[in-house]
Amino acid sequence: MDYVILSMTLLAIGIYGLLTKRHLLKILISVELIATAASMNFVLLASSSNKALGEAFLILAFSTDTCVTGIVLALLVIASKKYGTCDIRKLAKLDQYETIEDEEKSNGKTKEDIV
Amino acid sequence: MVLELLAVGLVVSAFLAVCLDRAVYSVASLAGTLILVAILYALNDAVFAAVFQLAIGVGTLAVLFLSSEMLSEEPSVKKPLKNIFLAITAALILSIPSVLLSIGTIPTSVSSGVSFSEALWKLRAVDVVLQGLVIITVALGITIVLHEKKERKN
Repeated sequence: MDYVILSMTLLAIGIYGLLTKRHLLKILISVELIATAASMNFVLLASSSNKALGEAFLILAFSTDTCVTGIVLALLVIASKKYGTCDIRKLAKLDQYETIEDEEKSNGKTKEDIV
Repeated sequence: MVLELLAVGLVVSAFLAVCLDRAVYSVASLAGTLILVAILYALNDAVFAAVFQLAIGVGTLAVLFLSSEMLSEEPSVKKPLKNIFLAITAALILSIPSVLLSIGTIPTSVSSGVSFSEALWKLRAVDVVLQGLVIITVALGITIVLHEKKERKN
């Protein structure tokens, strides 16, 4: 079994989720999968030669992964509390409006006007 | 055989984590992925990596479970069961290359004989200190962002 292909498959699934999903939590899960694929390479490729250094690099990769998770979760909380949605496409249209309800009140405008 | 089964399970649970509609189910599937990765590390004699993967995975998953329960809304249209089976089938097909193919990486016989503690505290000591600083800075930044948000509300 080839671990490089396994981690590339995980990477492909993560990129697929990143490109197709709109919910912030799903995007975070995709980023987690990409980080897992990268750290898997560190450990499993290093297991043939310099095993200890590969594991040490994994610990360093975990810290960045944790930071990314924390930042995205903070964004998730802010988006959900302020705008009432976690959909990134809806959030992209909300530059003029405080909440989704404000956007829905201005029904006279077309979608292009809102954008 | 065990490793191959683990690889298939890993790909299927990762694909379901991305494809499932409800956020709670996605997080549960991600939990399966992280546990399988930890088992894979342990079977490849990377015990420290497996323990760290489990420890950090448990923390991440706890936060993700809470936030998915609190913040995500129910999907308006439920997908039929057929779609889930289709997703599992697609994941099984995706897992075939990792089980059958090999890109022919050359195993090196070079080993520095460095222990894990030496590698972490002597070779990468600066990185360890810096990563501590990065984590503290990010934690402070998140606290400030959430605090400002609270003040604006008042």
